[in-house]
Amino acid sequence: MTRGRFLFVLACIGALVAAVETLRSPDVSAAVVAASMLATTLRFATPLTLGALAGMFCERSGVANIAIEGMMLSAAFGAFIVAAMTRSLAAGVVAGMVVGATMALLHAWLSVTLRVDQIVSGTVINIMAAGVTGFLSTEVVRRKAIEGAGLLPAWRVPVLSDLPVVGPIFQQQPIAWATLALVIGAHFVLFRTVWGLRVRAVGELPRAAHAAGISVQQTRYAAVMVGGAIAGIGGAYFTLEAVPVFEPMMTNGRGFIALAALIFGGWTPAGAWVASLLFAAANALHINAQQFGIPVPSQIVGMFPYVLTIVILAGAIGRVTPPAAVGQPYVPD
Amino acid sequence: MKSRRELILALGAVPILAACGGEAAAPAKAEPTKAPAAAAPTTAAAAPTKAPEPTKAPAAAAPTAAPAKVLKVGLVTDVGKVDDKSFNESAWNGAKKGAADVKGESKYVETQNPNDYKKNIQQFISEKYDIIVTVGFLLGEATIEAAKANPGIKFIGVDQFQEKAVENLAGLIFEEDKAGYMVGALAALYSKAGKVGAVLATDVVPPVWRFGEGFRAGAKASKPGVDIQIVYHSDVGPEKTFDDPEWGKATALSMIDKGVDVIFGAGGKTGNGALYGVADRKDKGVVAIGVDTDQWNTVPEAKAVLLSSGMKIIDQGVADIIKAVSENKFKGGNVLGKVGLAPFHDLDSKVDAAVKTKLEEIRKGLDGGTIKTDVKPAKG
Amino acid sequence: MPPERPGAVVRLDAVLVPVLAIATALALGGVILWAAGPRFEGSYLGIGFVAEAYLSLLEGAFGSRAAIVDTTLRTVPYVFSGLAVMLAFRGGLFNIGAEGQLTVGALAAAWAGFSLDLPAIIHLPVVLAAGCLAGAVWGGVAGLLKARTGAHEVITTIMLNYIGGQLASYLLNGPLRDRSPLNVIAQTPKIAEGARLPDLLPGLHAGVLLAGIVAMVTWFIVWKTTTGFELRMVGANADAAAYAGVNVVRRMTWALGVSGLLAGLAGAVQVAGVNYRSTLGFNIGYGFDSIAIALLGRNTVSGVVLSSVLFAALRTGATKLQFRTQVSADIISVIQALVLLLVAAEQIVRWLYRLRAADAVTQAPEDGATAAIPPSPAGGEG
Repeated sequence: MTRGRFLFVLACIGALVAAVETLRSPDVSAAVVAASMLATTLRFATPLTLGALAGMFCERSGVANIAIEGMMLSAAFGAFIVAAMTRSLAAGVVAGMVVGATMALLHAWLSVTLRVDQIVSGTVINIMAAGVTGFLSTEVVRRKAIEGAGLLPAWRVPVLSDLPVVGPIFQQQPIAWATLALVIGAHFVLFRTVWGLRVRAVGELPRAAHAAGISVQQTRYAAVMVGGAIAGIGGAYFTLEAVPVFEPMMTNGRGFIALAALIFGGWTPAGAWVASLLFAAANALHINAQQFGIPVPSQIVGMFPYVLTIVILAGAIGRVTPPAAVGQPYVPD
Repeated sequence: MKSRRELILALGAVPILAACGGEAAAPAKAEPTKAPAAAAPTTAAAAPTKAPEPTKAPAAAAPTAAPAKVLKVGLVTDVGKVDDKSFNESAWNGAKKGAADVKGESKYVETQNPNDYKKNIQQFISEKYDIIVTVGFLLGEATIEAAKANPGIKFIGVDQFQEKAVENLAGLIFEEDKAGYMVGALAALYSKAGKVGAVLATDVVPPVWRFGEGFRAGAKASKPGVDIQIVYHSDVGPEKTFDDPEWGKATALSMIDKGVDVIFGAGGKTGNGALYGVADRKDKGVVAIGVDTDQWNTVPEAKAVLLSSGMKIIDQGVADIIKAVSENKFKGGNVLGKVGLAPFHDLDSKVDAAVKTKLEEIRKGLDGGTIKTDVKPAKG
Repeated sequence: MPPERPGAVVRLDAVLVPVLAIATALALGGVILWAAGPRFEGSYLGIGFVAEAYLSLLEGAFGSRAAIVDTTLRTVPYVFSGLAVMLAFRGGLFNIGAEGQLTVGALAAAWAGFSLDLPAIIHLPVVLAAGCLAGAVWGGVAGLLKARTGAHEVITTIMLNYIGGQLASYLLNGPLRDRSPLNVIAQTPKIAEGARLPDLLPGLHAGVLLAGIVAMVTWFIVWKTTTGFELRMVGANADAAAYAGVNVVRRMTWALGVSGLLAGLAGAVQVAGVNYRSTLGFNIGYGFDSIAIALLGRNTVSGVVLSSVLFAALRTGATKLQFRTQVSADIISVIQALVLLLVAAEQIVRWLYRLRAADAVTQAPEDGATAAIPPSPAGGEG
């Protein structure tokens, strides 16, 4: 992500907060509103960021991923059901990662080994996830009256979370914290490790990478599955961190907003994170403005991420360049 | 159902419909407070509001309803499932109960796509069902069409206001604005901080809008100056607005951040999300109010913080109409179902006697027409 | 067309794999149904339950006159949107935006239908044309972005789907909303009588004929015109096409525009023939279904038509299946996903049934090509 766009995004978020500040009712202090809005933004940004990171590992290795939604949805279900059966939330999170990685394995097998078109493979996963989770939630969860295992408890930052105004920001749950760590970790892995270099190489110049002795297929498998596991954490967020239930289609298109964030962020971890924050801030604005009786046309807010992404793709605020080999199966000579 | 027996407040039918409908006639009397509602199932609201139709005795005209035969009740959900802890579930419970009461049988078809309304209703018609229940106002048009084409079958349209009465179609409707008003009053009177909030699904759906605006009116009237925060979830497309618990929770938390201490969650799973959000912050003394059914029973995770629920007694309403069909007392047109507050359950001791008295006054006022919610039937 | 020897082999193969894929998907679906059903109750193994489920699916789709009409009505929009995806595929482009194009097509058609006051003879064509135009614009934007900036059409069409959905929500709650006092739904007023498609048979509108005509026209354009030839050249190998003098950029924009036009027509026909208005939410699911239809039909016109019938039948029969078995209709989505999976990864089917691998064309192109088109016999129906 270019510096210009970073500044653009920061300016946008600032403008959103400022908008709420000016609109708010007088009896709530400005600091409280700002802190609350940031807390909401962080909350909404969590699944978007995780989805975008999932897509990033996948696409950086040259495998297009429109199946973030399907991976998150199936992982949300897997995490819920395993947590409910074992009564262990940690097991649930692990299960979410396993399910996410398994869906990713299917994606990799189809698109890397069988060289099925990657978009088709993604479509298969999305339809499959919707159907299977809907079916199982009816036939298993409803029939057996399975009850959820509850939610991951908030991890409070000592001292900071007790501060009067900014307290809410420091009372996030584990997955929200893990997301921040993952952004930093992903950046490090991608740009500072040999494996990250390999992933980028097979995504940009698979032939050259192959010539340099890197196994294109293995690297892609690994990257796609790492991405799937991250999407799995994003799925677990829905059923173990947000609400203690699974509902059919509960990811509600956030996998596609995550895809938009990935593109907007120029396929970098920090960029994806900032873009997720921006999209989340738009939603937070919508909620906060309504709380103070200001009608913000909801459709405008709803369109915001997608329109911005198109604008970016049209090259209006600095062009984005996808990994060169994304979408192309690699055929070894 | 337990919740029904424990009803402490039940709003009777009130003739607002006479004004706009023309067909809706004199409503039944309001029930006395603390009347065991379940014991008097066919009185009050569930009694059809239209004068008896002597022509076309249903059993005779209906090709399917031979006296010795088992009454078959079919239910078509709106997009969603019969275990949504909300209105589809409540209607299905009513259909099951109604069918069981008359020793009939019941089946459902869950709608997956709005394009399937007609087809799903048709399914029960072609299987010669005696009663078809359709749930949700979006099925209104398809239901009217089906009813006109099949005079021998009785239809029950939940949340479907009937402009012109079709004699074999009963529109079971509710005054959500009154339920919302009661909830708003309770919230405002209970709130220590003087701040109340409502987390709702999209305002495009009239029952949701009436709940929300009723809430606003009730809170404002019973405690002038109270801070009212109302947020509708309209930015995800209509088919998703009821299915977004994560959003509901985040919105509730955002309100709690700003000192709101009573939150009304209304709108399917989105509203349930708000209840989860409040449960998450129970250490702060915030409480939640549910919707449609007594959610103390359907959302166990929120039991400890659930102050009450703004109920539409859909299940009893549906069951009563089914019973009326079996007794040949069915009449078409609008049928006003009961609305009211659910019991306070675990928090009963926290509600002051003065608040309870005031709520009772408000209920009487709404019943008698001395209190008006001034909420339009739909937004815009 | 009289089959020539080599062509016949290719064609047999082209039919065999999808048929086997469908059969396999249904078999797997049967296993799932069996697992969900009342098995092992006494001596009851549950096989009968699966049979009953599938028989009710079949009966629900074709078992009565009404069922056949309903299946046909559902086939019509699928044909248009399936052709839309197919046409783009032929040009090497992935139109994942049929849903958005269909949405705006329906909006425009409904607007033209209720707001314009025209004689019947031209009103219907205007309504259909409005739908086509809106769809073409929606698809064309993606095409233009692709041509001008290289923005991948998959991404832009996904984004345009969501924008279209929000636009519909805005218009149907605002400017285009039916303002009659009793309307409480986000929908337009009904279109004028003269703007509606007439019924061929009771309940069956003339859109069926239109679908047939459009299918033939599409076939003609793609396989019998210079434009179509250029389109397929671009799809097969954009570099070679450019070398041969094809204006690749213009052809891509054209392809997505026409693709959008067809999807928009699907929306317009639903408005003019079935709903007589545009309602929020009626478009759900068409986007992914049409991709599956195009792939299952192996990007041929006849294949798209047959796949449309299959998908329509699955959706139509789902109600009876659910009614009889009280098993969640989500099973249909699972079966559809399996069909798509097996068609896309036909190696699985070949391996399962020990079929001889087909020619090289069944593999996705090597890296370097712009888009990997799923397998289809070269030449298709030409």
